[in-house]
Amino acid sequence: MEINNYGITLRRLTRDKIEIVRNWRNDPKIQRFMEFRDYITPEMQQKWFDRINNDNNYYFIIVFRGKEIGLTNTKDIDYKKGTGEAGLFIYEDEYLNSDISFRSALCMGELFYYDLKLKTSLAHICRDNKRAIQYNKFLGYKIADNQENIYNQLYFQTQEAFEKSAAKIKHLIR
Amino acid sequence: MDINEFIEKFAEIFEDTDRAEFQADTKFKELDEWSSIMALNVIAMVDDEYDVLLKGDDIRGSETITQLFEIVKSRK
Repeated sequence: MEINNYGITLRRLTRDKIEIVRNWRNDPKIQRFMEFRDYITPEMQQKWFDRINNDNNYYFIIVFRGKEIGLTNTKDIDYKKGTGEAGLFIYEDEYLNSDISFRSALCMGELFYYDLKLKTSLAHICRDNKRAIQYNKFLGYKIADNQENIYNQLYFQTQEAFEKSAAKIKHLIR
Repeated sequence: MDINEFIEKFAEIFEDTDRAEFQADTKFKELDEWSSIMALNVIAMVDDEYDVLLKGDDIRGSETITQLFEIVKSRK
């Protein structure tokens, strides 16, 4: 499965790519923003992929101009509740803090709301990850109730909030 | 177009960074406050103030505020 839109390609994660993702994920520059910070072994990665390689989890490698630069996902989809959890990291420094993460968010939002027909996108963000909090708020995520004393805080986004934010982003990256 | 005016408008986007940090040769992507949202805000500011559309490549290819200014100036 491949999504080509907004100048990027999202390529569904396949087993032959999980070592790349493991290496990215074990890099301290990525690991420090994750709730799970233990070293991930090849065996752990295989087991993880066995768990997520299904229709309840969509993981994609972000490809820009032929280069694999990061990972984005909707995981733990509950089709009855209409929920799923979003995630993203950009590994390649050149594309950090750029428009690429927003291009990816547009693709994933459209997959989430229009193709998978889900209703509420969830996100967990470590409370000290200021950039991620700002990024998600820009995308229309709001913090859920009773998160004040939690380190990895829950945020949610509705389709209406996504569409409002997407219109703004599409105008700027046109 | 005036570089000082451009720097002023560029600096106004940032909330937590001291105005003195913004000079013509400031490497803006090295500022603590720089983020993907700031990248979009710079594109929005240039669109609103100068009616010029910056691309992600323009920002990726620029290190200093002057370099961005020169791109905008060349498209006016």
